[in-house]
Amino acid sequence: MTTLSRFEIHQPASVLEASQMLAQYGDDAGIYAGGTELLLAMKHAALNYRHLIDLKVILGLNSINVRNGSLEIGATSAHRSIERSAIVRQNQPALAEMESQVANVRVRVTGTLGGNLCFAEPHSDPATLLLVLGGTVRAESATGAREIPVAELIAGAYANNFLPGEVLTKITVPCAKPSHRAGYMKFQVHERPTLGLGLWMETPDDGRTFTSARVAVGCVCPFPTRGVEAEKVLTGSRGEVEKRLPEAADLIADAADLVDDHEGSVEYKRHLIHIFLRRVFRKALREPVS
Amino acid sequence: MKERSEFAVVNHSVPRGDGIAKVTGSAVYTSDMAVEHMAWAKVLRSPFARARILSIDISQAKSQPGLIDVLTGGDLKGLSPYYGHGVRDHPLIAIGQVRFVGEPVAAVIAEDELTAQEALGKIVVEYEELDAILDVDTALAQGTPRIHETDFADGAFRGFDDFPGAAGNICQAVHVAWGDVDAAFAVAAHIAEGEFYFPMVYAYAMEPYVAIADYDAKGQLTVYSSAQHPFMVRHDLAQVFGLPLNSVRVIVPYVGGGYGSKSYTKIEPLVAACSWKAGRPVKLQLSVEEAFLTTRGDDARVRIRTAADAKGQLVARQATIHLNTGAYAENSPMVCRKAANRIVGPYRIPNVKIDCFAVYTNTVPASSYRGLGGAQVTFPGESQIDELAEKSGCDSVEFRLKNLAQSRESIHPGMRPIDADLPGDVREAARMLRMDRPLAPGRGRAVCCSASDAGAHPVTLAMVQIYADGSVSVLSGSTEIGQGSHTVLAQIAAEEMGVPLEKVRLVGSDTAVTLFERSTGASRTTTLMGRAVLEACREAIAQCKVMAAEVLGVPAEALVEERGGIRSGETRLTWSEILEKYFQMEGCSIIGRAYLRKAGDLKLVPVFWEIGVVGVEIALDEETGRITLESLVTIGDVGLAINPAMTEGQDLGAATMGLGAGLFEELIYDGQQLMNGTMLEYRVPRFSDLANNVEMKLVQNRDGVGPYGAKGGGEGAVNPISPCIANALHQATGVRMRTLPLTPERVWKALQEKKARAST
Repeated sequence: MTTLSRFEIHQPASVLEASQMLAQYGDDAGIYAGGTELLLAMKHAALNYRHLIDLKVILGLNSINVRNGSLEIGATSAHRSIERSAIVRQNQPALAEMESQVANVRVRVTGTLGGNLCFAEPHSDPATLLLVLGGTVRAESATGAREIPVAELIAGAYANNFLPGEVLTKITVPCAKPSHRAGYMKFQVHERPTLGLGLWMETPDDGRTFTSARVAVGCVCPFPTRGVEAEKVLTGSRGEVEKRLPEAADLIADAADLVDDHEGSVEYKRHLIHIFLRRVFRKALREPVS
Repeated sequence: MKERSEFAVVNHSVPRGDGIAKVTGSAVYTSDMAVEHMAWAKVLRSPFARARILSIDISQAKSQPGLIDVLTGGDLKGLSPYYGHGVRDHPLIAIGQVRFVGEPVAAVIAEDELTAQEALGKIVVEYEELDAILDVDTALAQGTPRIHETDFADGAFRGFDDFPGAAGNICQAVHVAWGDVDAAFAVAAHIAEGEFYFPMVYAYAMEPYVAIADYDAKGQLTVYSSAQHPFMVRHDLAQVFGLPLNSVRVIVPYVGGGYGSKSYTKIEPLVAACSWKAGRPVKLQLSVEEAFLTTRGDDARVRIRTAADAKGQLVARQATIHLNTGAYAENSPMVCRKAANRIVGPYRIPNVKIDCFAVYTNTVPASSYRGLGGAQVTFPGESQIDELAEKSGCDSVEFRLKNLAQSRESIHPGMRPIDADLPGDVREAARMLRMDRPLAPGRGRAVCCSASDAGAHPVTLAMVQIYADGSVSVLSGSTEIGQGSHTVLAQIAAEEMGVPLEKVRLVGSDTAVTLFERSTGASRTTTLMGRAVLEACREAIAQCKVMAAEVLGVPAEALVEERGGIRSGETRLTWSEILEKYFQMEGCSIIGRAYLRKAGDLKLVPVFWEIGVVGVEIALDEETGRITLESLVTIGDVGLAINPAMTEGQDLGAATMGLGAGLFEELIYDGQQLMNGTMLEYRVPRFSDLANNVEMKLVQNRDGVGPYGAKGGGEGAVNPISPCIANALHQATGVRMRTLPLTPERVWKALQEKKARAST
């Protein structure tokens, strides 16, 4: 790690101004939205921005509301404020709980949900859970605005699909309903998790049968990945679903591009998916996990 | 000897003298300091593990605005650029070739740190890459070239500490032997045999290496540094620059942790050479990532066998230890010596043969790591004690009790007899851990122990200054490195001089002011500097008594000493009153001094045996292989705890540090490149890794040579932790792990293999 190289920090008054700054400075500019990943990358000279555009100074961009049955979370909401938000706890408890486990408290008070999603760190906890909760993000620029599902936001490790000049302003997450069950679990040895696993299920009869499911895995692969084939076998009666958990785990592992690295071998990561799919299934049903 | 109940200040858990300053951030570390007219240095590091430097082009860098100078290996004419207290093999900056990725090749000196960093990118170095020698087996193979092509001069401690030296890529070889191991193994009833590996580790200190050097126009060199051993640094600097000792002043402010990583000379010669070249004071502050590339602990491959007779008595131990010492000797010759001694363990073993080799490789130089070879060899040693207990059909605690050295028993020929109650300690640890309770599934318990020949070479000089106003200064060359020595030494002075603790000030370490202290290491400070301070106080008191006799006109023998002063009939005078009456002048002070050396009761080595006794109960998640600590017990057999709370803190700290190599710490090389040399990727223990239940006990039998019977602590508990976890895992699962760390995946794989074996 080196000393931070020289850069200029800009404080736009609005999203529009931020977007104009992005357009003006092009590849020389990056968005600052907490810096918990950005500044590390800059200290390691992995990123060399001459201009940082500070989104955190834009008023109102860290608000948290419920509208039309969805949580609307401003992009610069800190993990800590989401974790502690009564609105989030009430309307999407799985999200609040996941946020309470992100990194450490120093990162959570500074780092933001929008920053986390844009940075696309392969070990991101929020992205994995938002994939199964059906989250979308709003991208705004001088020329307009669009909604992007989280699944389409992530282009790869450290890469997102924003167009030049686009600023992430809001994350929208459908509120939990009584028929929903959701949970996120991770396995962590090092500073970042080895595995993250998110599960969402719909059950009309309090966990006796499951009519639909979404599952996603993160950390073990270059970017959080939905297990679309696995989701197909996670419906039916509880007994059937439980019996098919090993099959589903293999389908998740097949869908993800598992990576051999210092966090573990492909073999071990596949094994962890098995273990944690069963645990997160129980957790989502609010049962003891082991 | 005073009873424990009679102590006024020592043996009490007084608050740390530096606690508030450190917690509020007002304590000054070298990192916080600046001196007038100071420039900044940054270091260009080698991208190759082994290469010849063909050329270094600094012309582009020179044009950088704000740049002052550039130092390279070609600029050292007139200096003796190789240093090292064991072997003088370490150039202060690469000269003609590089020997590990990260070795300093050029240093840029600029008006500010950022300018220096920017100039680094403009230096062009042309290398001729050579085949890197990255592991011990390659280094020792026939035909492998030498990493150091020349034989280097001995440093200050070679010969002096009985290093026989070595050849080729063997930096150091140490042999320990008594009895006849071959004969003993031939008739032994039970033999445990295996190969163990202790990983390459980094002694993470929160403060990375930092130094400020000022080589002034008069040829006086002043260095501020985060150094553990300022007098060793002074020695090396005097040698590099050809200066008399009084022209080299090394000042050590507060140090943000060391754990061995800051022992002996590190970046000081480089920073001093920058100042020498630039004609300006220069500061060099390394990042943590650069610190990873400066020093690490030796990883160790240990082939070991241990034998017991039919009655469960140990009869022989033989081991061959290969330490991967990296590119330069640093303190590895001493690690080699100590590993060879310490692998014997605290047991009565009639036949021993140990061959230990420190081997050069093209990796980051290895040096001291808390426990100095102890952690590397206690893992195999204590693992095999459990293996043998099992083979003997004996409970592992009972097996240890049968073989442990008793107090005052001599187990290493020629060395000091054991000055601790090892059987009592182990029995107590087993009791605290409640070994008799039934175990829940996935749980395992174990108690392990170690004894280290500690204290290093006893040369310790100290002064106390007694002021006529009742205040006292202790002038000590020991470094306050977080271990609390400034508090403990103040307690001893307050106890002896009979003054309130707040009246005692610690001065040092500063080589221009404080007397020689060989080192702040080997857990010696309380024992040796503590005793020197006590003796210096006694010497000052003796002077005061002579003065009092003259002032009062009575024979000195007629004076009765009371704490804080003397009584003569109805007259009572404090030490300060005596000084005031004697000098008839305000503001006077006298000096008491003590010179400890290897003589008298300090003649026998070691100065003391440092005991490590720990017990753990682990909980295993069999599905993931993750081990967590349910319970930890530690025994601090420290003679007398000058400050019990801080002594327990040392035990808990050492045990926690030991968890690192036990469970997750390991520097990983991919080819010549260190892959995880950052705090994001290198996993050190956290508070959340602590055991759910922690119980610590101090054993205070006053059996040490230190003040009031004290002896050192602080490193003991680091050694037995990893075998304790491995033995507990074996109890829980029947799986014997011989490679650390016990990462979840490694444990899971071992469990899988065991299942596969069981099903075939």
